[in-house]
Formats: sequence, structure tokens, C-alpha cells
Amino acid sequence: MNKFDFNKELDCTGLNCPLPVLKTKKIMDNMAKGEILRMISTDPGSKNDVTSWVGRTGNEILSIEELGKKIIFFIRKA
Amino acid sequence: MTFIKSFTSKNLFSSLTNKDDFLLLDVRNKKDFSRFQIEGPFEVDMVNIPYFDFLEGEDGNISKVSRQKPVKIVCAKEGSALYVGEILVAHGFEDVAYLAGGIKTWGNLLTPKRINPKSDDYALFQFIRPGKASCNYGLLYKGEMIIFDPSRNYEFYKSFAESHRTKIVRTFETHLQADYISGSKQIANVNGAEIMAHVSDFKDASFQYSEVKDGESYPVGDDGPEIKVLHSPGHTPGSTSYIIDDKYFITGDTMFIFSVGRPDLSGKTEEWSLMLFDTLTNKVQNLDKNLDVLPGHYMDWNEANDKLLFVEKLGEVIQHNAGVYKITTPEKFTQYIKDNMRKSPEVYREIRKVNSGWLDVDMDEADIMDLGKNECAAEAYNAEKG
Repeated sequence: MNKFDFNKELDCTGLNCPLPVLKTKKIMDNMAKGEILRMISTDPGSKNDVTSWVGRTGNEILSIEELGKKIIFFIRKA
Repeated sequence: MTFIKSFTSKNLFSSLTNKDDFLLLDVRNKKDFSRFQIEGPFEVDMVNIPYFDFLEGEDGNISKVSRQKPVKIVCAKEGSALYVGEILVAHGFEDVAYLAGGIKTWGNLLTPKRINPKSDDYALFQFIRPGKASCNYGLLYKGEMIIFDPSRNYEFYKSFAESHRTKIVRTFETHLQADYISGSKQIANVNGAEIMAHVSDFKDASFQYSEVKDGESYPVGDDGPEIKVLHSPGHTPGSTSYIIDDKYFITGDTMFIFSVGRPDLSGKTEEWSLMLFDTLTNKVQNLDKNLDVLPGHYMDWNEANDKLLFVEKLGEVIQHNAGVYKITTPEKFTQYIKDNMRKSPEVYREIRKVNSGWLDVDMDEADIMDLGKNECAAEAYNAEKG
């Protein structure tokens, strides 16, 4: 499901914390301002972790959707 | 070369009760941390710095971690604790360890403590679950073990029974639990143990159980202590207490050392409040005041005695909660409950379905549902008002 057009995609299916956040940070460090990342995680802890981390960086979560075990984030780089 | 060590929940509980000097570093996000934290009988030197804070401005956050004492790191599963541990070691910290298996192992931990004197021919244990602030009980006599309100830590009961050379023959439920997942179904399936429960709570259960009835007694073995059944509705309509050997009063969530069980968890507040009023006024207060109350929960470690057991004489419990027990009319009692009502956790509805056997969840889901301190007391600081 693509609610937003996105520039990059990161699939963290099967990975546990801290990897989803670490990988998200790494990829977002190399993105330009305003670009959008679609990130998929299956770690239930990611929901609060990613939300909390993004809040700290100034980046913006556009949406979080849960499809079965998958959590799909759209994050805009600030 | 410094290595990161690991520790178990059991090790952590020992450190907490031994008053070891260490820093507990919880690296979960603030939201999860505020919902549920590690608690022990004594003050814990604890700090919460989410693991992802070590990604941005590493040095600033490292300076918040004391170098004066050993650091024990806790996270949700264990990966993030190990990650932060490696960063600390790289910055010269010498004594760093992480909780193997993450905080859910703390949530499931049971710590056994003997209640009755060793000279008795039976053994009664309190299994304290520090992560849930709850207590369940084991009664052992001549090769048989009976569990009251087992949690789903099946491995613990299995090895406890084996190490005492007993077989689990029965589990008694004090009520249909809403705050944690019961282990009775699994124990019955694997060990063939008989589940004993009150029909008012379990009439819709999808599994087999035997009905307990008010006034009945169950012997343990051929000549062991007796278990007397006391129907004590209020927290739920099927709430049942068990009196062992005319000395020990397993109350479930009917009453706690510093509170009484909430009758407002299902939306039928008035009806269940009246039941609880009747139970407390006409049943509990007529019992022998010398009974040792063994509650299903505690609110705070302050309630434990000097042996770190949650047990108190019935007469004392009534004194502690005089504000509740002295209410003389059902109307005033219901008003009192309403005045102290607060929201019940949404997950309780789902846990009830699991405990009736109508909802199956996998291990991960069960871990998430089962995490966090209970919300079963009518209010937590009754003694101060009483």
C-alpha cells in the first residue's frame, strides 16, 4: 500500500531492535531534505521506537500503518 | 579486553534483594519505560536513556551513565542492550552487562518463597511475580503439587515440581483473570492436571474444568491439609477464595493487604459492588482474624514483611483497610467504589478471552499482552485514608 510517493525504501522484515532504527538512521542521513522514506518493520517494538526516535531528530512521520505483522512507516526528512 | 556479560532476570532479582550497588540502565523508549519498569524491594538506582539516543550525540548521553559502579542494561528483547553495552565498553566502561532475553523475561519471572514452617508435613510456597506485582501459590504434599492461579511460565512450575519430586495434579483458579494469562490450560494439557474453578466465571470456557462450590473441602493426598472453598464474589461473580489447613487464606483478587479487588473491571459496577460489599461484610469479617491473608497482588513492595513475603493476618488487613470495611450500607459502598474508579486497561478484555480458551495467541503476542503491572486494586493508597 502506497499512501505517499516515496524516494527510498527500506525493508527491515525479520530484524529486531536496534537494527530497524539503526538502518533507518543510516539511510536517512544520506537523503535530501523533503525526501520520503517508506520503511517496513515486523518488530512490534519498532512502532514506539521509530516514533520516539523520529520525534527527536526533527524528521516527520507522515503515517504508520499496520498490515498483519508488518508495520509500514512513511517518514519525511527534515 | 573487556567483555560484556549477560545476566538473567533471576540474577537481577537476587541483586535487587541483596541490595547490590549497581546502575540499572533501561534503554527502551520513554513510552514503554513509563508503562512498565523494573521494581524491587529496595530503591533501585535507575536511569532511562533510549538506545537511539546513543546514535545522536553519543558522548553527551554517555556522560549521563555513572562510571562509579557496575552497569546493568535492560531493553525490550536484548539486542539494543547489547548494542549500548558495546558502546559503553568502547568508551572504557569496565563492568557492563545486559539482560539476556530482554524485559519480557523479567515480566514472566517467578520467585518462590516458603510461607509455612519447615516443621509442617506440607509445604506452602508464594510464587512472587515481581514484573506483574502478583502472587500465586504452590502447595506440596507427598508427591503432589497443587497450584493456585498459575501464570503461563510453565517451565518454572515444571522444574519446581520436578526438583521437589512432585507431580502437578490440580490447579485452582480464584477467578477468571483479566490482567494476566493463566497457565492452567497448558498445565492441564501437558500434565493432565485437573482445573478447579467456579462456574460463575468459567461457564463459557472452551476447556474442561471441575466446578468448585462454596463450603466444599478438598483433601490433599490421603491425609494432607484441607483446602476449603469460600465463594467470595465481587471482583468477579465467580471469585473464590481458598483456606488451607484453617490457617492460610488465598484471597485471589477479593482482597489485598492494602486494598480490595476492583468490582468495576467489566462495566457491571453496581451489581458487582453489591456482591463485594456482601462478601466483605458478611463473609470475610466473620472469619478467624488469625488467618494469614495471601493476596493475588500487591501494590508496592512496602507491603512485604521482613522476609519479603506478602502475608498479613486477616485482623490486620481489616485494620489497614478500615475505610472500606467500616462502610455500613451497600449504597455508600457502591459510591465509594465509583469515587475511586479509573479506566481499566483495554487489553484486559482480550486476556479474558484467552483465559476462557476462546482466543489463541502466539508466544510473542502473549508476551506483549502479559507485560506490565496489574490494575486490580480498587485504589492503591487506601491505608492512608482509612
